[in-house]
Amino acid sequence: MAVAEAPLELERAGRRVDWTPYLLVLPTAAYLAVFFVYPMAQAIWLAVSDPQSGALTLEHFRRMSEDLYFRQAIRYTVLITAIAIPLQVALGLTIALLVNTRFPGHSIFLYVCAIPIAISDLAAGLIWLSIFTERGYLNAFLDALGLTAQPITFLTYERPVWLIGAIVLTEVWRATAIVMIILVAGLQLIPKDYLETAQVFGARPWQTLWHVLLPLLRPSLQTALIIRTILAFQLFATVITLAGRLVPVLAGEAYFWYSLYRSPNVASAYATLILVLSGGITWVYLRALRARHEEVAGG
Amino acid sequence: MSVLRLSAILVAVVLVAGVSPGVGAPAQEIVFTSNQFTPVEEQEWARGTLLRRFTEESGIGVRFITEPEGPYVDRVLAEARAGRGTIDVTGTLHGIFPVFVAENAIRDMAALQRQLDARGDRTFYRDLRDVSRIGNIQAFIPWMQATYLIAARREAMRYFPSGRNPMRMTYDDLLEWGDNIRQATGQRRLGFPVGPRGLYGRFLHGYAYPSFTGSQVKGFKSAEAVEMWRYLRRLWGVTHPSSFVWEFMHEPLLTGEAWVGWDHTARLIPALRQRPGDFVVLPSPAGPKGRSFLSVVVGLAIPRVAPNPDAGARLIEYLTRPATQVATLQGVAFFPVSPEAARAVPTGGLRVMADGVSAQAGAPDARTALLPVGLGARTGEFVPIYVDTFRLIAIEGRDIPQTLATQARRLEDLYRATNAPCPPPDPPMRPCRPD
Repeated sequence: MAVAEAPLELERAGRRVDWTPYLLVLPTAAYLAVFFVYPMAQAIWLAVSDPQSGALTLEHFRRMSEDLYFRQAIRYTVLITAIAIPLQVALGLTIALLVNTRFPGHSIFLYVCAIPIAISDLAAGLIWLSIFTERGYLNAFLDALGLTAQPITFLTYERPVWLIGAIVLTEVWRATAIVMIILVAGLQLIPKDYLETAQVFGARPWQTLWHVLLPLLRPSLQTALIIRTILAFQLFATVITLAGRLVPVLAGEAYFWYSLYRSPNVASAYATLILVLSGGITWVYLRALRARHEEVAGG
Repeated sequence: MSVLRLSAILVAVVLVAGVSPGVGAPAQEIVFTSNQFTPVEEQEWARGTLLRRFTEESGIGVRFITEPEGPYVDRVLAEARAGRGTIDVTGTLHGIFPVFVAENAIRDMAALQRQLDARGDRTFYRDLRDVSRIGNIQAFIPWMQATYLIAARREAMRYFPSGRNPMRMTYDDLLEWGDNIRQATGQRRLGFPVGPRGLYGRFLHGYAYPSFTGSQVKGFKSAEAVEMWRYLRRLWGVTHPSSFVWEFMHEPLLTGEAWVGWDHTARLIPALRQRPGDFVVLPSPAGPKGRSFLSVVVGLAIPRVAPNPDAGARLIEYLTRPATQVATLQGVAFFPVSPEAARAVPTGGLRVMADGVSAQAGAPDARTALLPVGLGARTGEFVPIYVDTFRLIAIEGRDIPQTLATQARRLEDLYRATNAPCPPPDPPMRPCRPD
């Protein structure tokens, strides 16, 4: 009898809702709700409500958009993102492919390339500041080679291109590693069979890369692009360190409106704008890369 | 993941709980918050020297929390609104107290002031006591004061305009000095803290404006102001182009990127400490309307909802003692608020600095400017109006009268919305309005 009853009970249990997965994600969900969703909702509320009356208002967005730094902050954030991210992806992909060839010493090379991950953006800014400043390493180096008579001022408002260049260089140095790590992981997930098949059909390395590796790497590229773009919209400490407020960026303006101008509402308006932009870009990436994926599958 | 996170939190909780009631902990602990002493070295000094002496003497432990202005003010106000406090003493700038008074967040310090006066061992400068009265109460006990000066490397002095007295410097002398250095060395060696958290805005509203126009706000777009901005454009032409990242002038002064730098005394003193023989300290320049300088007053108060107000009062008594004031000058270069303390002469770099301070304050054409008060929660918007004007005119090269007209409207809106009086040396009209 006991034997006959067992499957019946199992069947009944199967029909009941299984709470185990929900219980398992509960701590994470609670954590996210308390530390992310609630503050986010609060920030959005601050951005659209009047601090005195609590009525809905667009006043804070108006003050944000009329601010001297607003347009420049959007322009510079987009500009730095647009220059730095393609460079980071190209460089990250190159390093990942190089590591994937498993040349002798490739694991040491990988660790060395990954070092910047462990460095905070502020520290990265300070490192590069100590290189580019008038009494910095670069000037000392040029002077030792006898190339310059006087130290060169690299970081100056008189040469905005150099300023942007220094910021992009720092960003590339700092954040290429995370792209590389994601792509190395992605490359290792690709079964060797595909590459061997390509070899059998006589594909040259370039063709293998273009027609086999890159399409299979698309999900990893997507992840890397989304993470990097979202982080680029939060770009802040490196820029402040190297260029002060001469190159305003969105996250920096949110900080200044909160800490210097003491206006949490306008700071929240900036934060909301960053949220909307990040969300929008993520959606675009997801759509653009998925569409092409289906196209490939269909073709 | 969540198990890991939970255990990490658990470990952190155990560590924090295990460390705080350390061996030999004092019987009572009070909380002292401030937005001063934020640089790490100053925090170290406050905890390890200044407050430790108080704990040794009184048996009261002090937890010192220093934060940037934004979170600092929020914390005091949040405790007042919640009606339940943890802060026993708070110390901040004269200009922030109106925010606390408006929100009824601090006690009237008049009774404590009477107690301190009755001790007979300290008096406070009269003008500092005057500014501590805000609304109907005495908002704070004067604690320490500071100002802004010019520090120069000795090698820069030989380029100082010949026949002129550096201790009686004018704005024209400063421009010529910077230009002489540039012509002789090919480098611009004049420096200002124009970085995001630098105090260059104070130079504009508290030094240049009153020296050229006789006012901080009223003459904002006057003919004299237009003249001043023309001058500042020329001055910017001989100023080190990296000034826009500098926030503490002692750093470029020590590396030699800047030879002549204007900044807050506390942000110059590390250079003078390290190499007292290499620097001279000069008063800020004089303009057509006199030698204006800002006097920065820092005061101490007890929050309305403080849990241990009596222990807090003991800490204030200790902090304003003349001997403690001298130690504070030696520790963090904030100057005394009592003549009894000022008479105790410091040595070395501080001596150099003190000479500069007295040359500035004692000059026959001296004109004291005070930080604006009464702007309440919008206090933080005052300085950016001046810094933005500088950016538009000096860096972006916009038309001066037109820019001043636009920016004056912002200033007027700010003052009309808060119905605040003009800061001295402007006449005390309310609301203040640029002419």
